[in-house]
Amino acid sequence: MNAELIIPLLAAAIQSGTPILYATLGEILTEKAGVLNLGVEGMMITGALAAFVTAQVTGHPALAFLMAGLVGAVVGGIHALVCLWFLGNQVVSGLALTIFGLGLADYLGTPLIGQTAPGFDKLALPLVHGIPVLGPIVFQQDILVYTAIIMVPLVWFFLEKCRWGLNLRAVGEHPEAAAAAGINVLRYRWIGILGGGCLAGFGGAYLSLAYTHLWTSNLTGGRGWIAVALVIFAFWRPGRALLGAYLFGGVMAFQLRLQAVGTHLPSSLLLMLPYFLTVLVLVFSSWKSRQTDAPAALGVNFEPND
Amino acid sequence: MSRRIVGVLCCLLLVLSAAPTMAKDLQVGFVYVSPIGDAGWSYAHDQGRLYIDKLDGVTTSYVEAVPEGPDSERVMLNMARKNYDLIFATSFGYMDPMLKVAKKFPKTTFMHCSGYKTADNMGNYFGRMYQARYLSGMVAGSMTKSNILGYAAAFPIPEVIRGINAFTLGAQAVNPDVQVRVVWTKTWYDPATEKEAAKSLLDVGADVIAQHQDSPGPQEAAQEKGVYSIGYNSDMSSFAPKSHLCAPVWNWGPYYKEVVDAVRAGTFKPEAVWFGMEHGIVDLSPMSDMVPADVQKAVLAKKEAITSGQAKIFVGPIKDQAGKERVPAGQTADDGALLGMDYFIQGVIGTTE
Amino acid sequence: MLNLTAYKRQEPHPWSSCLVFLAAVLLSLAVSAILLKLQGKPALQGIELLFRGALGSRWSIEDCLIKAIPIFLCSLGVAIAFRLQIWNIGAEGQFALGAIGATWAALTFPDQPAYLLLPLMAVMAFVAGGLWGLVPALLKLRMRANEIIVTLMLNYIAILLLDYLVYGRWKDPGSFGFPMTKTFSATAIVPKITGTEINWGLGLCLICGMVMWVFFRFTRKGFELKVAGENLNATRYAGLPYEKLVCFVMITSGALAGWAGFIEASATINRLQPSIMVGYGYTAIVVAWLARLNPLTIGIASFLLAALRVGIENLQLELQVPAAFGGIMEGMILLTVLAGSYFNEFGFRLRRRS
Repeated sequence: MNAELIIPLLAAAIQSGTPILYATLGEILTEKAGVLNLGVEGMMITGALAAFVTAQVTGHPALAFLMAGLVGAVVGGIHALVCLWFLGNQVVSGLALTIFGLGLADYLGTPLIGQTAPGFDKLALPLVHGIPVLGPIVFQQDILVYTAIIMVPLVWFFLEKCRWGLNLRAVGEHPEAAAAAGINVLRYRWIGILGGGCLAGFGGAYLSLAYTHLWTSNLTGGRGWIAVALVIFAFWRPGRALLGAYLFGGVMAFQLRLQAVGTHLPSSLLLMLPYFLTVLVLVFSSWKSRQTDAPAALGVNFEPND
Repeated sequence: MSRRIVGVLCCLLLVLSAAPTMAKDLQVGFVYVSPIGDAGWSYAHDQGRLYIDKLDGVTTSYVEAVPEGPDSERVMLNMARKNYDLIFATSFGYMDPMLKVAKKFPKTTFMHCSGYKTADNMGNYFGRMYQARYLSGMVAGSMTKSNILGYAAAFPIPEVIRGINAFTLGAQAVNPDVQVRVVWTKTWYDPATEKEAAKSLLDVGADVIAQHQDSPGPQEAAQEKGVYSIGYNSDMSSFAPKSHLCAPVWNWGPYYKEVVDAVRAGTFKPEAVWFGMEHGIVDLSPMSDMVPADVQKAVLAKKEAITSGQAKIFVGPIKDQAGKERVPAGQTADDGALLGMDYFIQGVIGTTE
Repeated sequence: MLNLTAYKRQEPHPWSSCLVFLAAVLLSLAVSAILLKLQGKPALQGIELLFRGALGSRWSIEDCLIKAIPIFLCSLGVAIAFRLQIWNIGAEGQFALGAIGATWAALTFPDQPAYLLLPLMAVMAFVAGGLWGLVPALLKLRMRANEIIVTLMLNYIAILLLDYLVYGRWKDPGSFGFPMTKTFSATAIVPKITGTEINWGLGLCLICGMVMWVFFRFTRKGFELKVAGENLNATRYAGLPYEKLVCFVMITSGALAGWAGFIEASATINRLQPSIMVGYGYTAIVVAWLARLNPLTIGIASFLLAALRVGIENLQLELQVPAAFGGIMEGMILLTVLAGSYFNEFGFRLRRRS
């Protein structure tokens, strides 16, 4: 492979990593508040549909993007309702949310099959897009790629420096202690879940507004599950989430290009590559590093004390 | 008084229960492997179902997203028990389950798409899509400048492999130097992955993108890059007007009507039919204005020859990738060889695994 | 001012949980009925069709039982891992490996008599599924790799491995190139229970369920597991062999899912093909949790979920409701049942606040 192939490959890595990045950042937010939400796929696909419909009706992609966030958050709200108010098991609730979301999007989206909607096109950033190598890889993407990249320090800042973020993390570590210190545990968990749903919705919107401009059932194609896996892979750190998402996208893009160049390896074995690599990197990095940033109270419901 | 009421009620009941039998509709059931929202294969069959649903005296119903295996057997059993007269199952993996059900319900007619087994009350049918693929290959071969054609394909099953080979033969017929590069996505409908596969082909120099998927994702990739593309399943020109040259398309409706008529007339015969362009099951969508008139003329002439039966597609000598002769010179591959085609011909770059 | 407050019940009332379950199901059925009405379909008839399709006749009940078999086995498997708080979401992959193991035996020794071949297939499914479960356990213990992500990734890898085999070396030359193995020989097919369509996988389910119940109730290891699962710290103080327990539950978990794969390949499909994977491994997680990891309730929950899916097919056929409607209903029922379980554990009292 030469430079002519590697630059588009890396650009493709960023593009196919972006929807996963949005969803991963969202799930980090949720899990940092101590809530496991396996419904990412469900929130993503309803977000994707909401974005598609809004773009088609209004013609404003930006509005559509925000709508996807809103709808993602609303669907996430079901999880919050079940787990925070009714203390339902988070694993089951998340899985049920995925089943529900996929069904709902498929159901409502069937009349839209075979139509297109306006979306985002490539936007070369002034000045920086001309930088050799880096320019074509990073700065000639669509605007949603840039916002995803901006989200990374934002989420980091929120979790590490912002008072609300610190409270949210405290809720995820020791809800009882946080409650004793006067923090409203449920409120912060609501924030974590709704924020996570919103970002997952954004991730879905990327698929229906920027990556492609069309709607079919199963548009998300299991990317929500990859996001759930990448959160753990990233040790709940936004920076590593960026790395993980782009790496995963990159390996996916790489195996397709390997086929295009011509290879004798069976495609099933090539497709195993990204999953295999994820395990390998995870194993290696968990073995090397002493601690992960896993929230201690992840998956444990907070019961009202009376 | 009360007796009279009972009597009236009984009459009502009788009328109600007799009413459907007096003018009994032909009940036709369809089993689809994916949701009709896949925009591709199942969608095309459902268009066929809607076509016969409009006929007088025919009611249709369907169950979608039925996995091959035990689930499909149960769905077909359920239809047969409900006295459906005719059942279409439209995926290869439904063949054995359908055979089992057909043996239990001899009065019901069963039709299986894309398989090869038949029974006294079960036929199978398929379309020679490779004929239209060949024509689309001619278009692609004429339009390419880099002599590299890209082909984003779902799964390495014979139907897909046959299509790629026919496409390649068509392209080679007008442009002997052409090569076809294949990328497998291992998914039928995941537009983002399909688009990415097309992009990977563009990156290695392909300037016409063909596809065997259920979404127009590859068309989008080609349009963004400013190169041509060949669609599939239905006319995809609305998705990529500046890129879309033509598309091999399915059109099941008229054939389904034939089967319905045969069942109603009692003339149904359990055959294995494999219709081509002469029957209209497969066709090439109208070519775009971007295709030069002389190319269009050549393609239409070839179409005429195929339709009239003069021209065959897989005519020897055909060698596989390793150079082994698969069809000797002067011979035409028979249907058995076509049905089980599991090799790429020379000029295709990719693996069949 | 009146104020409604929740308090935790000491002992959940045995009947109240049934009642709450029924109420939750009724609620989601009512919502489904409204959704049907909105589409202009007869609502009540829709619900009736759902029930009739699932439980309305002998064969439909048999269909539900057949479909419940793999769900039950996978679910029993993940339940034992969850007992120890090992989050095994890899039943899907372990199911695939079990099917692969059993198929290997069926294809390699097709001429052996059933009394040799079927046990061999079961053993191979057990070994293959168990080993696939052991990998994440070892990675967790030795490398501290999180088991959720490893099992999830291994699912994808297992399915692709199955693809590789049936598209490649195990492809039946007589299948016209389609990705499937040869039909198993008659001796490699788990027979049906006489007089029914149900295969003897049901018997396997009963045995496994009983063994699991006895194990947790009467054996020392079962007791250790329960203790360790309820309090991981206590495990360390009490000197329980945590590492051995983890390996044990993951092997058992994988082996049970593997058996589900064996039954599906042998009894219902009679060969190996990619469409054997329909997501039972994920369904199993939902079932195990809803049933609170109890073998008997897992049995009931598996049957009910299978019944729901079978019933929805009937609804689709009769009323032309899209398949996605099934997903909506299933999701809704799960969510309401889940939310409803709150009322088991918590009671309400009215309090006057000054």
